[in-house]
Amino acid sequence: MKKLCCILLALALALPLCACGRSQSSASGAEAGAQTAPASASGAASQSASAGKSYVIGICQLVQHAALDAATKGFKDAVTAALGDAVTFEENNAGGDSASCATICSGFVSDGVDLILANATPSLQAAAAATDSIPVLGTAITEYGVALGLTDFSGTVGTNVSGTSDLAPLDQQAAMFAELLPDAKTVGILYCSAEPNSVYQADEVQKALEQSGVTVKIYTFADSNDVSSVTATACGECDALYIPTDNTAASCAETINNVALPAGVPIIAGEEGICKGCGIATLSIDYYELGRTTGEMAVRILRDGAKVSEMPVEYYADPVREYNADLCRQLNITVPDGYTAIAD
Amino acid sequence: MGFAEYLSSLDPQALLQRLPGYAAQGVLWGVMALGVYITFRLLDLADLTVDGTFATGGACTVMLILAGWPAWAALTAAVAAGLLAGLVTGLLHTRLGIPAILAGILTQFALYSVNLRIMGMTANKSVSVDQYPLLLSSRQIPRAALIGVLLAAALTALLCWYFGTEQGSALRATGSNPAMSRAQGVNIDAMKVLGLMLSNGAVALSGGLTAQYQGFADVNMGRGAIVIGLAAVVIGEVLCAALFRRGAPFAVRLLFVAAGGVAYYLVVGLVLWLRLNTNDLKLFTAVIVALFLAVPQLQARRKSSFRAADRKEAQPRA
Repeated sequence: MKKLCCILLALALALPLCACGRSQSSASGAEAGAQTAPASASGAASQSASAGKSYVIGICQLVQHAALDAATKGFKDAVTAALGDAVTFEENNAGGDSASCATICSGFVSDGVDLILANATPSLQAAAAATDSIPVLGTAITEYGVALGLTDFSGTVGTNVSGTSDLAPLDQQAAMFAELLPDAKTVGILYCSAEPNSVYQADEVQKALEQSGVTVKIYTFADSNDVSSVTATACGECDALYIPTDNTAASCAETINNVALPAGVPIIAGEEGICKGCGIATLSIDYYELGRTTGEMAVRILRDGAKVSEMPVEYYADPVREYNADLCRQLNITVPDGYTAIAD
Repeated sequence: MGFAEYLSSLDPQALLQRLPGYAAQGVLWGVMALGVYITFRLLDLADLTVDGTFATGGACTVMLILAGWPAWAALTAAVAAGLLAGLVTGLLHTRLGIPAILAGILTQFALYSVNLRIMGMTANKSVSVDQYPLLLSSRQIPRAALIGVLLAAALTALLCWYFGTEQGSALRATGSNPAMSRAQGVNIDAMKVLGLMLSNGAVALSGGLTAQYQGFADVNMGRGAIVIGLAAVVIGEVLCAALFRRGAPFAVRLLFVAAGGVAYYLVVGLVLWLRLNTNDLKLFTAVIVALFLAVPQLQARRKSSFRAADRKEAQPRA
């Protein structure tokens, strides 16, 4: 009896490895019960659609977060509006854990989904590593070249990856300092060192600000525990602060405000969520609309047979200048024309 | 969605197809579990350095591969970095008298900054299998699983051999009874440092392999690694004890510890496949792992001799 149990358990643990023989190319729709379209490993992107086809889209979201949730919702709304019942979504959330992204994406690849939506950078990297044939669309990714380690990124990734970027023009953001805070001579850039997208934005904004003659200092915090002490140091040494689109800063916006407001240091934020919490102004993008744009790209790939390798990364078209009326009033900042107040 | 609808929407076929991927990832973490086994079971030390060492292994491997080193050389360098990290924790514990848990936490803290520096002050570095010669990748799961299994088996064989030598036995004795070992002339400080070094070397190796598998290294990739490692160790031990009532040879126990990593990832995969709310993923995984851990305790209670005596008394005498 014990020997039987032993043998059965050994077989059970070895079973996953036996299933290896069935590689992605043979995971065809011929399997009973599987509702997925074939994902051939020969490199051809998903075939041009015929009427009556059904699609499965795998969504891998890094973490539960207002902006990322809005992007996913926009994506689903846009795809459902165009394809209706023909599409099913498999949503998975990695809980902030990058290893789970790899687990989720390899699951999608073995299921043979028709498209993968990768929400945030680690999801994109895991999806790009897991497949080179299934189209991968990224969203809420700031810089594809940095995320994928591409040396001369020209706007089109060229492999099975494309998507949308949440980068609002950094030079325009730097110009807001001249517009709103002309007396600020030293500007500090504050971000979380664990966020991959923040360094790129900080570098670009630093370059733009230094060109206009402002001194720039960089302050990083590791997580929400040291944010108030680092912010206090920054407020002591700078006239104004800039915070890029940083997820950790977005979740600590209240803490940052509690330090910066009494110190009288105004903050220009990289996106609306941070601005609501602690910033005076921002060049805002709408993550829901960004998701919709990604959804429209997905429809073009699935229904109209567009080739993902030829689709350039799309950026948000009309960023809006917004200001936080309450904080501007408290810090005595006059807001010029062309800015909309953030609605509560 | 009704319960019946939900049940019918679950596709066992899909689960079977996903298993190779989960098994491949699990076996890489099994390598890490072997490292955790050395400190947790053999040395009886709680070593929290592994959260940092895992990311250090990943960071070293990725940066060296990006610099043009072959993958195996990068992994060797990662192991060396892990050995150094273990050395630091060991010295903090033995020379400065800091309790082992705290020493591990301090090293793990410091490694955050070290890892950032290794990656050139960025939090995340990607290494694409299309551009660099990686040893394994989630692109080719069968190959990744095979390489993982081979490395786990090689590490098990190495550890088996080592713990049979005089020095290895001294290490085991240190964990079992430090006072007695010291009386027998074993340098327990040196043994603890050695154990920590070996453990973190294995964890760094696992970090390097995982970074190649998932295609990127992230400064936070080791967060929670100790939990997974301990869960894998205990799951492996429970499975081993269930099959080998009268105790298994050391080699078999080590193999089961590595298999515990696979079992853990199968649990994660099951939770994902059940399409439960993914925000609750960690809760469900913890519940299932806790069940595994409770099994030996409940079994022991059932078999306890006092209970057996009570039952015997309650029976009418023949």
